[in-house]
Amino acid sequence: MDQQTIVSLLLILATFGLYIGISVYNRARATSDFYVASRGVPPFWNGMAIGGDWMSAASFIGMAGTVMILGYDGLAYIMGWTGGYLFLTFLLAPQLRKYGRYTVPEFIGDRFDSNAARLIAAIATIIISFTYIIGQLAGSGVVIGRILNIPSMYGTMIGVVVIAIYATLGGMKGITWTQVAQYMILIIAYIIPIVFMSLQVTNNPLPWLTYGNIVTQLGELDRELGISEYFAPFAESDKSQFIALMFTLMVGTAALPHVIVRFYTVTTMKAARWSGAWALVFIALLYLSAPAYAAFSRFILMTRVAGQPLDQLPAWTETWVNTGLLQLADTNGDGILQWSEIVISNDIVVMATPEIANLGVFVIGLVAAGAMAAALSTAGGLLITISSSFAHDIYYRLLKPDASDKKRLAAGRWAIVLATVVAGVVALNPPGVITQIVAWAFGLAGGTFFPVLLLGVWWKRCNKQGAIAGMLTGLTVTLTYIFLARSGITLFGIQDTGAGLIGVPINLLVTILVSKMTAAPSQKLQDEVVDLRYPEQMTYRDGEVWMDEGAGK
Amino acid sequence: MKKIDKKVADAYFCARTWLVVICLFIGGLVSFGVVAFAERFAEFTIMGMPAHYYMGAQGAVVTFVILLFGNAIISDQIDKKFGIDEEHNTRVSSGKVLDH
Repeated sequence: MDQQTIVSLLLILATFGLYIGISVYNRARATSDFYVASRGVPPFWNGMAIGGDWMSAASFIGMAGTVMILGYDGLAYIMGWTGGYLFLTFLLAPQLRKYGRYTVPEFIGDRFDSNAARLIAAIATIIISFTYIIGQLAGSGVVIGRILNIPSMYGTMIGVVVIAIYATLGGMKGITWTQVAQYMILIIAYIIPIVFMSLQVTNNPLPWLTYGNIVTQLGELDRELGISEYFAPFAESDKSQFIALMFTLMVGTAALPHVIVRFYTVTTMKAARWSGAWALVFIALLYLSAPAYAAFSRFILMTRVAGQPLDQLPAWTETWVNTGLLQLADTNGDGILQWSEIVISNDIVVMATPEIANLGVFVIGLVAAGAMAAALSTAGGLLITISSSFAHDIYYRLLKPDASDKKRLAAGRWAIVLATVVAGVVALNPPGVITQIVAWAFGLAGGTFFPVLLLGVWWKRCNKQGAIAGMLTGLTVTLTYIFLARSGITLFGIQDTGAGLIGVPINLLVTILVSKMTAAPSQKLQDEVVDLRYPEQMTYRDGEVWMDEGAGK
Repeated sequence: MKKIDKKVADAYFCARTWLVVICLFIGGLVSFGVVAFAERFAEFTIMGMPAHYYMGAQGAVVTFVILLFGNAIISDQIDKKFGIDEEHNTRVSSGKVLDH
């Protein structure tokens, strides 16, 4: 083992110890601890936990690379993944919190008073979360595999074991505080390299203020080379695809069950609003940094690596060429590496740049620990969601309503272990490109859940027939469009990753039309929906609003 | 329990809904609006980079954050105007949820 391996490994092991320690300290004792952390998490910390939950291996490892390679077109990810919090916080989170359930399928089942809707929602939740978690496990495998120089398969296995231990112990209560710790580690690991790069390139420690000039200089370098400018709009895809992708990511963000469930852990509607605001601050810290990361990396590659003689390349290039993620070929045979002769994979930009910029062993190890934190925190949240769909929605609400608290906790824990093992086995050999699978998960989440949740909390006339028809058509249309687009049949130039723009409006229309054509839901259900318009202290009953002024005044 | 005039309750809902509509409209303008006219925005620069790139990389995200905090603060003021007490909300809420 060289020095770098030892430093990286020690940093990762230290963080693993921290996570397991936190979840032992916050062990879940009751089902309410296990699923919603007893609904007592303060908004600021919940916001930070949402940040950790939300930012996955794809965000941490992949996004800066995507922006670097796609240029302006990559910014659809930045705006889509942050804009989704507007939809979530304005339209869904406070209302869902007031409804006061444990899971998204439970809300759908109770709101529409239908076990069929509950089952469909539970299965869709499991499918969506599973798709997503495979990406996380595969991502952690890449990180560990790269550090220890072992095949990423074994890396995946190590990741699986660690996640299973702490998610099973802590449940939502433990996960909340490990996610807070993971957020802090990942954001420090992300920002330190760009601060150093900013100092190296511009002599200013604030990358967010300085990279604008670098972007403009990149455009000039591109013009000299005769390729399309870095910031040229819609160079890689149509404008319609940009808008469709952005929309899909926004509605998907707002409808991802593992994110929504984090809003159930706070006390009130007001706390849900503040959670959303804090969450976006913490998320924005990373998302505002990704374009800076991309610009500095590209600048360093274009000015320091391109133009070098091929036999004098720095040592880091060799290790990455060996992984197959970096290709350097002297296609015109002049012995000098040109920019156009460098083929770099999205996924190595964040991991390799600290080496490229020569930032030292500690920073490189820190970035590895941060990438692991990003993968583990998201995987933890997803595991709780999968487990609750099985153990709470299917086992307790549908099969065994009389199960004891102890049995249900045990069922939840076993569901986590099983889900981890199954996801781990699939992730050993991931089906296709990870970033693409993640984008499909967003299309599916948005296409299946967003319209039904939206109408469920805002429109009292929406009934179970509408919800069931909407979810099924949304899921079918989105899936069909993904497959059609993959085989080359597209509408308005929208590709598979933008399928949400097709699925969501159709789901919305079907839900409204079918609801209108069938009988209205019971008066009690309708009253419960009207009640969601007001804060907890006001109650809607029989067409009148009552204000609770009870004791304490 | 005190009954509230329907008009007062409607006014509360109306104020909150307008806030949501306005915020979403502004959010749509800085993201979808700028993308739709990206070529036009490319003609001038903000913070040293072309304006359309700046809006995608920083402008839109910062606006979203401001909107969310604006919403949280203004909603609190609306609550206060209608005599809603957060401590009371917390007590009512913990009794109402389905913890099972």
